Amino acid sequence: MRKRIFATSLAVILAASSLVACGSKENPTPTTAQEEETTKAASNDKAETQEQSGDQVTLSLTWWGNQTRNDGTKKAVDLYMTENPNVNIKVEFTDWSGYWDKLSAMAAGGNLPDIIQMDYSYLNQYQKSGQLADLSEYLTSGLIDTANIPDSVIESGSIDGKCYAMSLGSNAPMMVYDKDIVEKAGVTIPEQMTLDELYDISKTIYEKTGSKTLFDGGMSMMQIVARANGSQLFDELKAGKEDSVKLHFENVEKFAKAEFSISPDLLAEKNPDVVETKPIIDGTTWNDFAFSNQFISINDTAGKNLGITMYPTFKDAKTQPMYLKPGQFFSISETSQKKEEAAKFIDWFVNSQECNEILLAERGIPVNTAVADEIKPQADEVSQQVFDYIAQVGQIATTIDAPDPSGKGEAEALEKNTVEAIRYGDADAAEATTQFVTEAKRILEEAAQ
Amino acid sequence: MKNNQIVPKRKQSLVQILNKPKVAGYVFILPFIIGFLAFLAMPMILSLGFSFTRYNILKTPVFIGLENYMTMFTADAKFWKVFGVTMYYVLFSVPLRLIMALVVAMLLVKSTKLSGFYRAVYYLPSIIGSSVAVAILWKRMFASDGVINAILSIFGLPSDIAWLGRTDTAIWTLIVLAIWQFGSSMLIFLSGLKQIPLNLYEAARVDGANGIQRFFKITLPMLTPTIFFNLINQLINGFMAFTQSYIITQGKPRNTTLFYTVYMYQNSFTYNKLGYGCALAWFMVLVVGLLTLVLFKTQKKWVYYEAEG
Repeated sequence: MRKRIFATSLAVILAASSLVACGSKENPTPTTAQEEETTKAASNDKAETQEQSGDQVTLSLTWWGNQTRNDGTKKAVDLYMTENPNVNIKVEFTDWSGYWDKLSAMAAGGNLPDIIQMDYSYLNQYQKSGQLADLSEYLTSGLIDTANIPDSVIESGSIDGKCYAMSLGSNAPMMVYDKDIVEKAGVTIPEQMTLDELYDISKTIYEKTGSKTLFDGGMSMMQIVARANGSQLFDELKAGKEDSVKLHFENVEKFAKAEFSISPDLLAEKNPDVVETKPIIDGTTWNDFAFSNQFISINDTAGKNLGITMYPTFKDAKTQPMYLKPGQFFSISETSQKKEEAAKFIDWFVNSQECNEILLAERGIPVNTAVADEIKPQADEVSQQVFDYIAQVGQIATTIDAPDPSGKGEAEALEKNTVEAIRYGDADAAEATTQFVTEAKRILEEAAQ
Repeated sequence: MKNNQIVPKRKQSLVQILNKPKVAGYVFILPFIIGFLAFLAMPMILSLGFSFTRYNILKTPVFIGLENYMTMFTADAKFWKVFGVTMYYVLFSVPLRLIMALVVAMLLVKSTKLSGFYRAVYYLPSIIGSSVAVAILWKRMFASDGVINAILSIFGLPSDIAWLGRTDTAIWTLIVLAIWQFGSSMLIFLSGLKQIPLNLYEAARVDGANGIQRFFKITLPMLTPTIFFNLINQLINGFMAFTQSYIITQGKPRNTTLFYTVYMYQNSFTYNKLGYGCALAWFMVLVVGLLTLVLFKTQKKWVYYEAEG
C-alpha cells in the first residue's frame, strides 16, 4: 500500500514537473509574466546580500552580429549591470539571417524581448504591425537624452513623426580589399571606381597575383545601381520596371563570365553572407562587399592589412549612389512590461562614454556627436579607417532610400536564387530580368496585403 | 490533478481514489497525455487551421480557403523542386543507411569481448549526427581545402573539388552524412539477428548451403519484420531531415540541397508566410502518411512473420 501511495504521488510530481520543464524549454527568453516572476524571485534571493535598492528588473536584449560585437556588447551589458545592481539583462544573439527568423517567431508568440536590435530594412514591417513601442515620450521627457544627437538621426528611426527606433551609429556600404595583394599587383584603388574600372583592376590583379574577385550580386548592389540610375529599387520593382534590374544582372553575368571571378561553386561553399566565412578571410579573393561597421570584425577575423573604398558606380551615373545608413537601431517592444527601464538602458548605450569606449564604433560611428568626438582619438587604427571613411562618404552621400517594404525578405531570397542561376550558367541576364521582376512584383504585392 | 474536486459517493480519501487501479493508470499516463495535447495535438490542429489562411505572423490571419494549396501545386515552381530534392534524398539515404546498418550488425552479432564497445562506438554518430556541431564539422571536411580533398590528393586524385558548391555533389555530402548515422537501425537489426533460431543455420549447413545462400534464404527472410520496422522509421526520419540542409548548405547550390522542411521553415519565418508554411507541412503529413500506408499494405507480400507460418 505504501509503495502505491509513493508511486502515485511520484507520478503526480512527474506530471507537474514535465509541464514546467517543457514550458521553460519552449521559452528561452522569459518574457511571460509568470516567468518574470520566478526570475525576479531568483534574482531577489541573490540580491539579498547586496543592497536593497528598489525592485529587481529583468530586461531581455537581442541582437544579430559577429564575434567582435558579441564580445563587446556583453562586456557593455555587464558594466551596466554593475552600475545598476537592480537591473538584470539577459542577452541573446545570432547571425543576421537566423535573427529575423527568430524574431518573427517571437513576435508571433507575443514574447518579443524588451530591447530589440532593429534594422532599417525591417523597421517598417515591424512598426506597421504594431510590434514596436513609441519612443517619443522618452525623448521629450529626457529619459533618453538627445541633446547631442542630430535630428536627422531621430528622423531615421521615425515613422509618421513618431520615433520607434534609436539609431546606434552611422554606416555606409563599402568594398573592402586586401591592401597587400593590391600592392603586389601594382594597382591603386581609387576612392570610387566605375564598374568598368573594377573590371579592369580585377583582371590585372588576377593576372599579376592569381587572386580572384568577388562581385556583389546581391540586393545592396542592385540598390546602388538603381540609385545611380536616379531611382529607387523598390519603386521600380513595385511598378514592374526592368531598367535597373537588367543593368545589374548584366553586370553579374559579365563578371561571372570573366576568368578572374571566384567560381560559383566555391562561392556557394564560402558564403560571403557571414563575416567568418567571407572568401577574403582566407585569401581566395582580394575584395568583398559589406557595410562599413563590419570592417572591424572582418579585419579582426582576417588578420590582414585591409583597405576600404566605396561601392562602384557608373561612368554616366545620374546621381551619386553612395548613402549613409543609420546602422543598427534599438527598439523597445510594444509588449514589454518595463519600457522605462529599457529606455534607460538605451539612453546609457547611446550617450555614455564609458559604454562607447567598450563598443568602439563597432555598430557604426556613435550618433552622439560629443561621444563620437571623444571616442575618435581613442580608436585604434582600424576604427580610425572607418571614421575617416564615414566622413568621406558623408561629403558626397545622397539621401537613403525609403525603408524596405514588407516582402523584402522573400524578394531578396529570390534575387539570390536568380543570381545563382546566372552564375551557374542556367539563365542569361535578359530572361533572368523578366522572371525576377514579374515574380518580385507579385511578392511585394502579396506582402502588402 | 484536481481530483479532490470529485465528490465521492462514499467518503474516500484522495489517496484511496488515486490508488484505484483505474485511476492510477490514468495518473501514470497523465504526463504524456498533457504533453501530447499541449505540444502536439493542439499545435497540429492550429496549424491545420492556419493552412487555410494568409498569416504573415505580424498581422492577424485572414481566411483564404484553399488558396495556399492551389498556389503550392500550380504557381510555386520551387515547391516541386524541393519536393523532388527531398524525395531524392530519402530514396538514396534510407536504403543505403539500412544496408550499412545491416552489414555492420552482421559483423557485430558474434559476441566477443569488445563487441559491446564496438556497438557503442558505431551507435555514437546516431546520437550526435543531427547536431549542429557535426553539421559544421561536415562542412569543414567537405570544404575545398578540407580533409576529404587532402586525402584524395594523397592518392593523386583530383583534389580541388568544391563538394558543397557543385550541383552534382552537394546533395551526396548530405546523403553520406545520413548513411553514417546508421546506429539506431543497427541496434534493432542486432536484436533481430539474435532472434533467428540457430538450428535453421545448422540444418542449412548440413544440407550444404554456403554463406551467401544462408544469408538470402534464412537471414534475410527471417529479418523482414525488423527491416519493415526500420524502413518505416527511417523513412519518416528522412522526410524530417532539417539540420543538415539548414546548417551545411543552406539549400545551395541552385536549391539542389533545399529540403522540404527547410523550405517550409523559410516560408514560415523568413518570408513571414506562416499560413503557406502550414499548408506545406500538411501536404508533407499526407505524403508520409500515404507512403506508410502503402508500405503496410504491401507488407503481406514480403514481410515474413513466423507465427503466421
